Amino acid sequence: MNALVFAWRGLVRQPARAVLGIVGVAAASALLIDMLLLSRGLMLSMQDLLDRGGFSVRVTATEALPGTGPRIGQISETAAAIAALAAVDEAVPLRLAAAEIASDEGTEPLFVSFFAADSSHRRPWTIVDGRDVAGSGASTGEVLLNRQLADLLGRRPGQAVKVRASCGAAGASTLPPIVLNVAGIAEFPFDDPSQLSAATTLSDAMHACGDDRQDDADLILVAGAEGAGAESVRRAIQQSRPDLHAVTNDEVVARLQRAEFSYFRQISAVLVAVTLSFAFLLIAVLLTVSVNQRLGEIAALRALGFSQRRVVADVICESALIVGLGGALALPLGLALARWLDRILKAMPGVPSELHFFIFQPRAVAVHIGLLAATAILAALYPMRIVARLPIAATLRKEVVS
Amino acid sequence: MPDQRAPVANAVVEARDVTRVFPMRAGPVVAVRNVALRVGAGDHMAICGPSGCGKSTLLHLLGCVDAPSDGTLLLEDRDVTTLGDRERSQIRLTRIGFVFQRFFLLPMLTAAENVELPQGEAGVARSERQRRTAALLQYVGLSARADHRPSQLSGGEMQRVAIARALANRPRLLLADEPTGELDQSTGEQIAALLDRVNADGTALVIVTHDVALARRAHRILTMRDGAIVSEGPS
Repeated sequence: MNALVFAWRGLVRQPARAVLGIVGVAAASALLIDMLLLSRGLMLSMQDLLDRGGFSVRVTATEALPGTGPRIGQISETAAAIAALAAVDEAVPLRLAAAEIASDEGTEPLFVSFFAADSSHRRPWTIVDGRDVAGSGASTGEVLLNRQLADLLGRRPGQAVKVRASCGAAGASTLPPIVLNVAGIAEFPFDDPSQLSAATTLSDAMHACGDDRQDDADLILVAGAEGAGAESVRRAIQQSRPDLHAVTNDEVVARLQRAEFSYFRQISAVLVAVTLSFAFLLIAVLLTVSVNQRLGEIAALRALGFSQRRVVADVICESALIVGLGGALALPLGLALARWLDRILKAMPGVPSELHFFIFQPRAVAVHIGLLAATAILAALYPMRIVARLPIAATLRKEVVS
Repeated sequence: MPDQRAPVANAVVEARDVTRVFPMRAGPVVAVRNVALRVGAGDHMAICGPSGCGKSTLLHLLGCVDAPSDGTLLLEDRDVTTLGDRERSQIRLTRIGFVFQRFFLLPMLTAAENVELPQGEAGVARSERQRRTAALLQYVGLSARADHRPSQLSGGEMQRVAIARALANRPRLLLADEPTGELDQSTGEQIAALLDRVNADGTALVIVTHDVALARRAHRILTMRDGAIVSEGPS
């Protein structure tokens, strides 16, 4: 009977203790895996959102976030010049604005985020119903609505809406509204569940803003040519237009990681330490109690010729079984908990629907296994020491006297 | 079913001027003082004496469970006094059998598994283990209880399983510390008879006991007082 089977029989011998230990480890390591998922989940999810449209570099006029700093002027010319670079496949100028949209005369207008972009084939949104706004550069008289907005307005592709945009002016626009036809329903990657968004071409947006001659945008989304890495695209743009600020998606994520996302990393690091400590104490206490209850048996086994190494192996195997079973149980438990926590965190205002705090990563599972293995060994050290140093004769004597 | 090998001419175990001192905070306690004894193959020896006289300590010394503070201990002419833990464990596993007052059977294992356990540790092949275990359980009269756990056995049955376990690796020497101490008189006599049989089949037997009847079954009785042997003679 090898040490592992022996340890298993020892666990089964006291089912209540075994179940308590395994459930305790499962609960602690479920939280552990959640914290490991959280520590990188937001970053990976943000990276995925940024990469989703196929744009690897973002160009703005300054280091300020899009919509908070000055716009890029002469956007048609600038986007064309960037698109002409060998490393670049496509450059899509994007304008961020606000608008009031109403379905009919007399109805209360809804305040929405209003995007405008021109491109030949890539778009910073995904069509889910109908079709995209057509063409590039020219006015189409069409608009895209997100699902929430379309539902509130009661509009479907083919129907018209009235749009009054305010492109930079503080407060509500006093311009007369223009009528745009709904071409399709789109999903915008950074929309939160309650956000109302609409999009059209730059030309139509400028028309809605009442200035057809306006030629600027908040940022340019750049897709690299095949085989061109994001960093080489960024360097090419920066060399061509040193007055502009180009950043790769990786740099955007790294910046968020250093600032806004760092709270989540710190929280997850603290909770990882707490859960590991809890698991360590739980296993150490269980094993120590178990070993102390069986000192007579262990001394008898040693008297019968069981080696020090063998009785130590029995303890480490018992620890490995508790942690292994608890850890295995923790995976589905942790993933279910992660989904629940993700829903809670995503309910915070302003969090994009497509952004997730907990992303499943094989790396996190590997780290989880590594940390649990280390915990199993560390927690077994003290009980291992007890059995390794057990004075056989004195223990047998004590057992008889007691 | 004990060892069927021919008895060795030399002593199975020999203590030469063995002393065991336990260092205590209040001062050292001499548990065994200058003991010299020789247990030959096929010997049947009982060690008697009042509680705390050093009987069990001497038994532990003879069984390589404890090491003497002074003197020499020879097992089959090999000096085992200063051996390390690994070598002493190996000797205990293959050359010496132990029977305890409290049996110390593992409660989560069946009778057969308890008997099989030391054989597995000694590296005996599975088929041989099963064969030997079945033979040992038959020897102690518990074939029908092979699959029973200790909690399903009586005290006498548990001690029989413990004797079968002690014989599992065919030891030269069987050491029993108060083997009838937890049993009623009738069951104790059955165990004593079984131990007689083990000895008659060629295994040297040393028993520590307070039980006069059990001691009288031995060929020799050693009486200890204050750690020293005060008398030795035939029963």
